[in-house]
Amino acid sequence: MIFFKRQFATFVLMIMGFLALIGNFINNKNLNDFIDKDATQWYEIIAGFAAFLGVLNLMKLHLTKISYKRKNWEYSILTLLSFFIMIFFGFFYNDSQVPFGSHLKDENSTFYWIFDYVYLPLASTMFALLAFFVASASYRAFRIRNFEATLLLVSGILLMIGRVPVGALIPWYVVNLMYVFLIFILLGHYIKTRRNYFLLFLFLSFLSFVPAIYLKWYLNPPAFLSIPLIQEWIFAVPATAGARAIMIGIALGTVAQSFRIITGREKTILGD
Amino acid sequence: MKNIFIKLGEIDRRYIFVLIALSVLIPLLKSDWIKMPIKTTQNTQIVFDELSKLNRDDKILVSFEYGASTKPEIHPMAIALLNQMFSKGIKVYIISLWPEGVIMAKDVVTNVIDSEIFQLVDGVDYVMFDYKVGGEIVIKNIASDFRGVYMQDINKKSISQIPMMKDIYSVEDFDFVFDLSAGVPGNAEWVQYACDPKNVPLSSGCTSIMVTDAIPYVESGQLKGILAGMPGAAEYENLVYNFMKNDLENEKIVNFENILPGKATSRMSAQSLAHIVMILFIIVGNVSYFLSRKKGNRI
Repeated sequence: MIFFKRQFATFVLMIMGFLALIGNFINNKNLNDFIDKDATQWYEIIAGFAAFLGVLNLMKLHLTKISYKRKNWEYSILTLLSFFIMIFFGFFYNDSQVPFGSHLKDENSTFYWIFDYVYLPLASTMFALLAFFVASASYRAFRIRNFEATLLLVSGILLMIGRVPVGALIPWYVVNLMYVFLIFILLGHYIKTRRNYFLLFLFLSFLSFVPAIYLKWYLNPPAFLSIPLIQEWIFAVPATAGARAIMIGIALGTVAQSFRIITGREKTILGD
Repeated sequence: MKNIFIKLGEIDRRYIFVLIALSVLIPLLKSDWIKMPIKTTQNTQIVFDELSKLNRDDKILVSFEYGASTKPEIHPMAIALLNQMFSKGIKVYIISLWPEGVIMAKDVVTNVIDSEIFQLVDGVDYVMFDYKVGGEIVIKNIASDFRGVYMQDINKKSISQIPMMKDIYSVEDFDFVFDLSAGVPGNAEWVQYACDPKNVPLSSGCTSIMVTDAIPYVESGQLKGILAGMPGAAEYENLVYNFMKNDLENEKIVNFENILPGKATSRMSAQSLAHIVMILFIIVGNVSYFLSRKKGNRI
């Protein structure tokens, strides 16, 4: 048995990985058909069976929890009860006019009713609760502690305003003043006396409006004075750069992991 | 004054919850009180323009990859998308790669049919397919062999009996692919396994939280624009609404008076107000933090 669990499984992994890899480089119809059609259809079949494994695992987990009365075992009863109710209305009971199977998508079936009036509101509520937690967390955790935190805070606020219509209503001179505030948040530590701080702030605020008047920004504000455009720039430049760096990192990690699997060095996926 | 701000920093979070709840509920319940102008962003405009380039009888594959939790964000863009497609006489092929996606898709189609704006015939104007397990593998299969994946439609009718399936063999037979996603599989998988290798134009509508991951594909042109969350849905709804209302000679639209603004537009006021309240919280929180730190230093 240990042969099938270890050596044979590793052998299948190596062969399939190797075939999938060379299928991308060698233009052979049989090989390409195997990779693009047969192997992928095998995957779909296996994935279908994986649902049964999931069901068995769910039952085992919650039945064990109830049997040993572990922490919050009462919720496991609810989970199993909901599970069996859906199984009953999905597999054994059809009160709609359509054939069995199609009743899962028919509005007149009890299964669909439960989805529409129980699951849907519950799932939406869970997602909507995020707004409350984000608000509470941002109130307590979004603090100007250092340069990085300030950067995160400022870009977060700009995205929050820029993504909603109210961002477009903010006039250019307010954005202009926001830049002055930002400069003083970052450089405020270096100005020692309160009087100098205040005078310098007034002077810089006044100075920031000089190019605005000279270049007639009040007629046609430039992009850097429009919150929605700043928000788009954040998405297009820094966010894209960060996301690409992460994607490249993931891709390199995938290559390294795939190489370990194909060469039989990776044992953890066999459950070791 | 200082003490008030310091105390505000230690406020019980239940008060924050109440204020957020009010900022969302008031604009939803009293939509006339707060009205926000919807300004179209570049990515939404690109999506609308790319879809506008499609001609009558072109074929679009729409993939539903979201569920109940993200319905408020993505459902409005799905309805607006089908409205735009049907008003242009484009054939719509609907698939679902999430178990709940098929119910979402059915709800969207029912919504559009019940609006009675168009006279739609199943199998002629649109066709729906059932959920397929496998995620990105299904996408890979669709790229090479659509008929191997879907042999019958959602009503168990063989695809050989469906007129609009006549020339469909792989993803290359579609003129456009539109992905409505809230996770994995989603737009990234469509780019990687189907649309980029086969050179088929692809756009996507997704949740706000997914936008950062999808933006690199938009910037590289692999995604033709993106509808980003509720704001994207509201902007797109507005564009489609104006297009349909002004296209008076459109023979596909049989009931012009039934064309109504979508739900995302009305929800934007609630989101705007909630964002403003959150920003105010952040500002108050920071002032309180600054003052309490200063007070601590003095002691």
